[in-house]
Amino acid sequence: MIGYLLAALIATCTFAASAQTVVAGAHGPDWIAIAMFALIIIATLVITYRSAGRTKSKADFYSAGNAITPVQNGLAIAGDFLSAAAFLGISALVYANGFDGLLYALGFLTGWPIVLFLMSERMRNLGSYTFADAAAFRLDRTPIRLVAATGSLVVVLFYLIAQMIGAGKVIELLFGVNYLFAVAGVGVLMILYVTVGGMQATTWVQITKAALLLCGGTLLGLAVLWHFDFSFGKLFAAASAIHPKGAAILAPGGLFSEPVSAISLGLALVFGTAGLPHILMRFFTVKDAAGARKSVFYATTCVAYFCLVIPVLGFGAVAILMSDPAYFHVDASGQFNKIADLIGGPNMAAIHLAHAMGGPVLLGFMAAVAFATILAVVAGLTLAGASAVSHDIYGQVIAKGRASDTREVWVSKMAALAIGIVAVLLAYAFENQNVAFMAGLALSVAASSNFPVLVTAMFWRGTTTRGAVAGGLMGLAASVVLVVLSKTVWVAVFHFPAAIFPYENPTLFSMPLAFLFILLFSLTDKSARAVRERAAFDAQFVQSEIGAAQTIDSPTLAAAAS
Amino acid sequence: MPSVTPDRTRQILADPAFRELSLSRARLRWGLSIVTLILFFGFIALISTAKSALGANVAGSDIPVGLALALSVIVLVVLLTGFYVQRSNSRFDELARGLNWRFGQ
Repeated sequence: MIGYLLAALIATCTFAASAQTVVAGAHGPDWIAIAMFALIIIATLVITYRSAGRTKSKADFYSAGNAITPVQNGLAIAGDFLSAAAFLGISALVYANGFDGLLYALGFLTGWPIVLFLMSERMRNLGSYTFADAAAFRLDRTPIRLVAATGSLVVVLFYLIAQMIGAGKVIELLFGVNYLFAVAGVGVLMILYVTVGGMQATTWVQITKAALLLCGGTLLGLAVLWHFDFSFGKLFAAASAIHPKGAAILAPGGLFSEPVSAISLGLALVFGTAGLPHILMRFFTVKDAAGARKSVFYATTCVAYFCLVIPVLGFGAVAILMSDPAYFHVDASGQFNKIADLIGGPNMAAIHLAHAMGGPVLLGFMAAVAFATILAVVAGLTLAGASAVSHDIYGQVIAKGRASDTREVWVSKMAALAIGIVAVLLAYAFENQNVAFMAGLALSVAASSNFPVLVTAMFWRGTTTRGAVAGGLMGLAASVVLVVLSKTVWVAVFHFPAAIFPYENPTLFSMPLAFLFILLFSLTDKSARAVRERAAFDAQFVQSEIGAAQTIDSPTLAAAAS
Repeated sequence: MPSVTPDRTRQILADPAFRELSLSRARLRWGLSIVTLILFFGFIALISTAKSALGANVAGSDIPVGLALALSVIVLVVLLTGFYVQRSNSRFDELARGLNWRFGQ
């Protein structure tokens, strides 16, 4: 095991050392960034190695033995959720569009109260390893778990590929590493974290990342505010004076002027969060429902704080970078586009800002933070995907709950390996494709398949297996079909002249459709199984409200009932 | 799978403490969810209707109204979650503990 880790360490270190920087090419060699990058890899591998000793049983592997505290879990949830797309992407949106970028941040945040009010406590009381546990509590195990696992895997794969492509591009830009090498390196690291350290290692990688991201963001935000004498007025005035759109960046612009698309995207952001398998899985790492509830509060606080810092970075980047040609590709006549010509594209705005505010040291630190951000999110996704395969499909459907712990954990590790390899290959294949649809599709499937199935199974007595399966599949199919027919795929990928589905995001249609199907197919379900399932709602309701404590001391009753 | 006997489930469902717990928690849960959704989608509606008004500065300062509102929504979201957690910690956990103690031998 140690040899395995060392080999990976050496491989990744040489991969770091061979790097020659592109971003910093304008500012001289960047050994500080490379050193910090190596430091993060070493730190996460040490975490993984230490976690390996504590990951023995199935419960250790999937849920870190329920031994994570609410504060730790809150940080880990924030680390799981705040992707490089959130950090670099939203600051880039603020950089390019001003105010409109902030609306994305707001959408990301608004999902959290919903997760807290509707999901966290009941999930924890009804399940033990994956969100399908809660959905299948009183419904027929095999079909429900297959639908839930399909929804999970679709979300995980699309999200993972989108993240990996972003990661490859960011690492390529930051360190000058070849794209395939960058993607493969990320793939190797995430497979290592998950297969060797399970949930324990994944959790601590996410906690480390969240702490780094919050500290780095704070540092950079304070530097920007200090530059403007801690006056938001001065910051906004300086930004609107130099931005090509002028004072318009301080007001809502065109991004959300079309209400159907705006509402649809809003629904995907808000309810998609409540259907993300890697987030829902984190509620099982704490002791009880109260712990799950508290961890969501800490996570919400972190995400909200991040949403307050991001606009400062975005507007700061506008005010500070746009006057300095050193950060842009300048053409022969000395002209440059203040948005499109930023070296590395607008996604690099926060990274360039770090250089402008704190030289190579801060640049190296923020580049390393961006890298840690990527690692934590892909590790969480891989673990969620592996659990859907091993716990839901193998353990519960194929082995009918009779697989040994060792066997199920082995299947999970093999699944993590397979998911990792598939993600690397697809990320390589899609390198130069337009993948803007992937993250949107992942969120839409989460909001239109996972969320409706889970929420109706937990809250509506009338839900039957037939209804949940019909609704879950309908939501999944509608999301995929509508995304394929929309501009992001039909025009951007297939090059048809016009899109058949006129809106950017399908959730406004696919989510209600899923609920409608659950309703119709449950109400018309007259089978004996449906009668049993509705009757079992009482027991589920009691356990979802007060937990399973009353059953722990009565093993004979439990044995008699099963 | 449910592992509580039907008798015990009926007893717990009929228990006044359980009814208080589940009813008041449901009220809080759905009430706050609706408030959150109104807050967010109301803000989106406001943006697509009153664009220009949001660009003006808040009276007596140099911060635009839209930005100030967006930041207030962020703070409000945290306060809502904090309120739910505080209510649950102080009231619901105690009721649930009592029920578990009485019904679990």
